[in-house]
Amino acid sequence: MTVTAKRRLLLAVLTILLAAGFLASMLTGPVRTTATDLLDLLTGRSSAFSTIFIDLRLSRVLLAFLVGAALSLSGAILQGYFQNPMADPFVVGASSGASFGAVVCIYFGIDVTVLGFSSQSVFAFAAGFGLVSFVYVLSRRKDLYRVETLLLTGIAAGAMASAMTSFLLFMKSDSFEQAVFWLLGSFALADWRQVGAIAPYVVLCLGAAQWFAKDMNLLVMGDETAQSLGCPVVRVRKIFLAVSTLLAALSVSASGIIGFVGLVVPHWVRILIGPDHRYLFAFSSLAGGVFLIYCDLLARTLLFPTELPIGVITAAVGAPFFIYLLNKRK
Amino acid sequence: MLRAARVLLLLSVVSLVASAQNETIIDDTGAPFTLSGPPRRIVSLAPNVTEILFALGLDKEIVGVTRYCDHPEAAKRKEKIGGLIDPNLEMIKSLSPDLVIAFRGNPLRTVERLKKLGLPVFVLNIGNDLGSLFPLLEKIGRVTHREKEAAALASRLKDRLDAVRDRLSAVTAWPRVFLALHGTGLWTCGRESYLNDLIASCKARNVAGGISRNWLHYSLEQLVQDDPEVIIVLARSIPEFEKARDRFLKDARLRGVAAVRTGRVRFLDENVASRFGPRLADALEETARNIHPERFDKKP
Repeated sequence: MTVTAKRRLLLAVLTILLAAGFLASMLTGPVRTTATDLLDLLTGRSSAFSTIFIDLRLSRVLLAFLVGAALSLSGAILQGYFQNPMADPFVVGASSGASFGAVVCIYFGIDVTVLGFSSQSVFAFAAGFGLVSFVYVLSRRKDLYRVETLLLTGIAAGAMASAMTSFLLFMKSDSFEQAVFWLLGSFALADWRQVGAIAPYVVLCLGAAQWFAKDMNLLVMGDETAQSLGCPVVRVRKIFLAVSTLLAALSVSASGIIGFVGLVVPHWVRILIGPDHRYLFAFSSLAGGVFLIYCDLLARTLLFPTELPIGVITAAVGAPFFIYLLNKRK
Repeated sequence: MLRAARVLLLLSVVSLVASAQNETIIDDTGAPFTLSGPPRRIVSLAPNVTEILFALGLDKEIVGVTRYCDHPEAAKRKEKIGGLIDPNLEMIKSLSPDLVIAFRGNPLRTVERLKKLGLPVFVLNIGNDLGSLFPLLEKIGRVTHREKEAAALASRLKDRLDAVRDRLSAVTAWPRVFLALHGTGLWTCGRESYLNDLIASCKARNVAGGISRNWLHYSLEQLVQDDPEVIIVLARSIPEFEKARDRFLKDARLRGVAAVRTGRVRFLDENVASRFGPRLADALEETARNIHPERFDKKP
């Protein structure tokens, strides 16, 4: 099969999966609803389940899709950026930084709303971004920075942020229940404001990634080669780092830490359609969104009526794949 | 002092009965809450709230409780809306409650999300002494329009607390007590926990009472140093208690501790003591009896 045919096939499969997952999510919940109820709502015949369909389920499935797309795109960018298949939003410290920000907010009882975002989201975002900038500055030498240094500094800084998070949680055991959300991730509290807040940024970031996708293809050949082929390496690298961090921090601030999505989804896509970033970015976003919709569906239904943290599901699927990858590389 | 409190309580009840409907009161998060007619469909988001609601005779009005609400027996047959930290929004919404009572322990994000769904949510805070139980009862009485029942319940509980105090009035030597929470590790409660006040109300001194924390992990070394005369183990069942007791009694490192030497390791039902509700009176009586058995053997 040619690459083009593979891409078409994957697009068709993902679209079907998306539609099916979307519908299943809309019809699944503690309240028994049927497709007829949904149809009645859409045709305006009855609005009996309007709150449940629109405010609870639709906002949730859209948020899951957006966060999945954001995490997966962030992972796809970072894997290309580091030319390292183990890279994901956790590696540069974005996720740990963001959850640290959220917990700081809980610890000091800061509760203000900034431009429609809750203070926890704003802190998560600021700390995630701050930590990555810190890592970036630390690992830079004369405008050039080595990928290995950045990677290791990121892991160290992330560990530091996680340690401080644990410390704050320990000091204020009363707030633990509030913090669980940030550590395990959940879409249980999804609402329209969150969807509206992150949707434009996800679209913008995808646009930016697509715009520079050709440059990413050059970067993979090595910085010197890329430079000689006319790619402004330093600038492109800065942009990609900023975009991937923004995506990671956005998703953490919307739904807490959800692991492995950014790691495994871009891999799957790369195996299926090859490493061309012009397609990899878009397909990873779509596949990540679909993947998280199904994970959330499982999280809601496996132990019904109890909800599992979604991180448990993504890790259960993602970790074995990670181990498989490690083995294959040996 | 006590009489004054009772008069105050009575006055507030009277003023409430006299006041008009649709009054606004402030809940424990500082949010305004509009009182309308008596609620007919109540969802409780915490086990202690459920107990209080049942104690106020709201059996029929309660339509949803958490999966931890196991007391009284009838609570188990109510619709489950999820847990303390993971209440299911859709489930709650589908019960169309006209009153949702939340408690500290429910994440504030959840409370806000419920309000956004247009549900009337009243949030209550836990107190750090036994006396905080009374304003709590009063507030729940107000939002459920059961002021009279709440005042009667409060006065019954007060009488029971007073009776324990009377029995212990002659006690001058306060024994040192260590309260052990279930499970492995030395978890105990500090000054900010109402259990610290429960021990103090039994005329005993919580050895961890100097620490301004709610729950904390204690060190074995400090425990040996503190030399408690009584160890109280919060456990879910007698077998669980016995296991914990044997761990204390057989621990060679603790053999110098008074409570271990004399075998004074006592049981306190966790289910009773961990709910900030009416059964705290049971917990107080049981603990007082365990710490000062001589005061309960004979008539006072």
